[in-house]
Amino acid sequence: MARSWSRRELLRAAGLAAGAAITAPALSACGVGGTTEHPNGANAVSGGFDWRKASGQTVRLLQTPHPYQQSFQPLLTEFTDLTGIEVVVDLVPEGAYFTKLNTELAGGSGAHDVFMVGAYFIWQYGPPGWMEDLKPWIDNPAATNPDYDFEDIFEGLRTSTAWDFQLGSPLGSGGQWAIPWGFENNVICYNKAFFDQRGIKPAEDWGNFQQLAIDLTDRAQNRYGVTFRGSKSWATIHPGFMTQYSRMGFKDYTFANGELQAGMNSPEAIEFQKQWVDLARVAGPTSWTTYEYPNCTTDLGNGNAMMCYDADSATYPKNKPGASAQAGNLAWHPGPAGPDGSYATNLWTWSLAMNSAAKNKLPAWLFIQWATGKEAMSKAVPAAFADPTRQSVFDGAFKQTLGAFPGYLEAFETVVNSSKIQFTPQTKFFETTQGWAVALQDIYSGEDAAERLSSFASTAQSKVNV
Amino acid sequence: MTTVTKERPTAPGPELPTVPDSRRRLRPYILSLPALLVVVGILYPFVLGAYYSILNYAAANPNPEVVWFANFASVLADSDFWTSVRITAVFAIAATVIETVLGVGIALLLNRSSFVGKIFEKVLILPLMIAPVIAGVMWKLMFNPQFGVLNYVLGLGSSFDWLSKNLALWSSILVDVWTYTPFVAILVLAGIRSLPREPFEASEVDGASWWYMFRRLMLPMMWPYILVAVIFRFMDCLKAFDSIFVLTAGGPGLATRTLQIGAYEDSITFQNYSRGSTYMFLLWIIVFITARYLVKVLGKAQRRAAGAEEE
Repeated sequence: MARSWSRRELLRAAGLAAGAAITAPALSACGVGGTTEHPNGANAVSGGFDWRKASGQTVRLLQTPHPYQQSFQPLLTEFTDLTGIEVVVDLVPEGAYFTKLNTELAGGSGAHDVFMVGAYFIWQYGPPGWMEDLKPWIDNPAATNPDYDFEDIFEGLRTSTAWDFQLGSPLGSGGQWAIPWGFENNVICYNKAFFDQRGIKPAEDWGNFQQLAIDLTDRAQNRYGVTFRGSKSWATIHPGFMTQYSRMGFKDYTFANGELQAGMNSPEAIEFQKQWVDLARVAGPTSWTTYEYPNCTTDLGNGNAMMCYDADSATYPKNKPGASAQAGNLAWHPGPAGPDGSYATNLWTWSLAMNSAAKNKLPAWLFIQWATGKEAMSKAVPAAFADPTRQSVFDGAFKQTLGAFPGYLEAFETVVNSSKIQFTPQTKFFETTQGWAVALQDIYSGEDAAERLSSFASTAQSKVNV
Repeated sequence: MTTVTKERPTAPGPELPTVPDSRRRLRPYILSLPALLVVVGILYPFVLGAYYSILNYAAANPNPEVVWFANFASVLADSDFWTSVRITAVFAIAATVIETVLGVGIALLLNRSSFVGKIFEKVLILPLMIAPVIAGVMWKLMFNPQFGVLNYVLGLGSSFDWLSKNLALWSSILVDVWTYTPFVAILVLAGIRSLPREPFEASEVDGASWWYMFRRLMLPMMWPYILVAVIFRFMDCLKAFDSIFVLTAGGPGLATRTLQIGAYEDSITFQNYSRGSTYMFLLWIIVFITARYLVKVLGKAQRRAAGAEEE
């Protein structure tokens, strides 16, 4: 005799069946279990170049409200007038920007055609196929204006945004994954008024720099020598630290015997890193392990920090009239040279990249081309400060904006030819570089430098070679 | 023999529309449908997270394979995970204990209705109206040795670091206590005000002291309310993320790296989605077991307060 089901049993069975039915397709729909190949769109563009080739279409941008973005915002109507393309901009605050971008790219929705990106992010977003290679677009005369002049972009920037994703290959090899849009050199910004008052000159080498920072420190007066980042983030390693580390002749990794060998645990590199952390302790901000760039520039602007080793364009706004207590008192210097006179500098570049899943690839490329072109960049530079990525714009519009910023131009010209991404490209960059910052924090908190860095180097080496 | 048919008594008044039997039978299923959808909505992310934890899914590996328990073995063998477990436990226990003791104390003070008490009652709720991230930002500014108000007011100079390796966890607990003690106080105060007056009046007539009445009468009757607050706060503290992340990002070193921060680092910063999901799944197991235990204790306390169970 067939057993009849009670209502409760029926509901339970229905719930289980519905759960199973929903879960299986939902799991496969969430992007797990394979990626979709997106063919490069450049080959589909033929004929002569015409800005109005995609007239009537829309390009969607994902950006963060950074000075670069703000300087271009008023010019967007000019782009629409030129091309007939409507621009829709979605802004996400910097703190949440990469979380949003990661999630969107991993989902493969192609909701935004163009996004802002830093060079290191290419090493993570490129290998899974989330970014469009822009080299075919640059090389296609039907898609690119003959006046575009890609070579006018500083070489260090062009190579910093290109890689073939092969372990051990240098930057500059392989595809062009983004076009540099604005950039920053990491140099010293100092309180010139205070220096002049005491008859002090900026230090030219590492030994004198350390001594100068110590001499400038007077905790009773709430004044200290030099500020630089120290928070638990990869961003602690990339500005002043990596710049000085490179100038001293050290490498993060070298490629030998088919794998990357960690270089931060050589006795000389350990000694330098110990000195860096000691400098933070003796002549740096008290709560160094929480310091991010806004903390550094705030202390500089308030007159607490006498020097700041960070991005030139991050310190620049503090010298604008009325922007800080020390506005008008600041000046720039390339920072200490290495023992061999090296001004190797690690740079940051905000670049424009195209989503490989973009729905509107031609409008996207026309936008990137316009925004990184000479004309738009020349117009954007005076509106809100940003180091231009083009030599011609630097020589033209940019130099005219620097009258009240002593030493800025000289510092820029001293380092620009040695300015590039000094890190070895590798796909575990964020994990290993944050690990490096954690190691420095541990040394700051009292751990033995040699022991801690050796342990970190061993962990990092095993991760980057997987 | 005559048969008597029992007629269903009908209430006086307008006649109700008759509902067809088929609809009547369908009604329970239709009523259950929203609950079913909610359950699916809750379970979907959970099942997805559990599924991720058995894959080797990462940005660097967009074509994942099932690796079964390899992520669990790797995470459980990692000393950083156990450091995070210890930090999470210390944070949750210390914050919950301090918030409960302070919350009960404040509730007892507010129960003595006075003019100041009434004003304080209104002010007390303010920290709860501030998002934990904003609380973190505010406190980070106050902790700043160079220009923060705390060092200035306490005369600690510019070299005392509230967020140093030794103090960072306790400073994070301080921020949590500032934010959530009012929650405990308000919950317990509501409990105190719902207690019957008679036992207290009878004790007063018998000449019992305040301490005796508190210990023997008020505390046992208040216990279920206190436990509800403890459960809420302890569960929340096990999942602590926002204010700690703003204050220290889990540093210096690993000093404030809770399990949630570990999961965030793996999933979002390092884009190792499967490892991050494994962290979350292990955290869920901890929260689930703890919640089951605390709810059991609460049930016991409620029965005891109602006099249904002997001590």
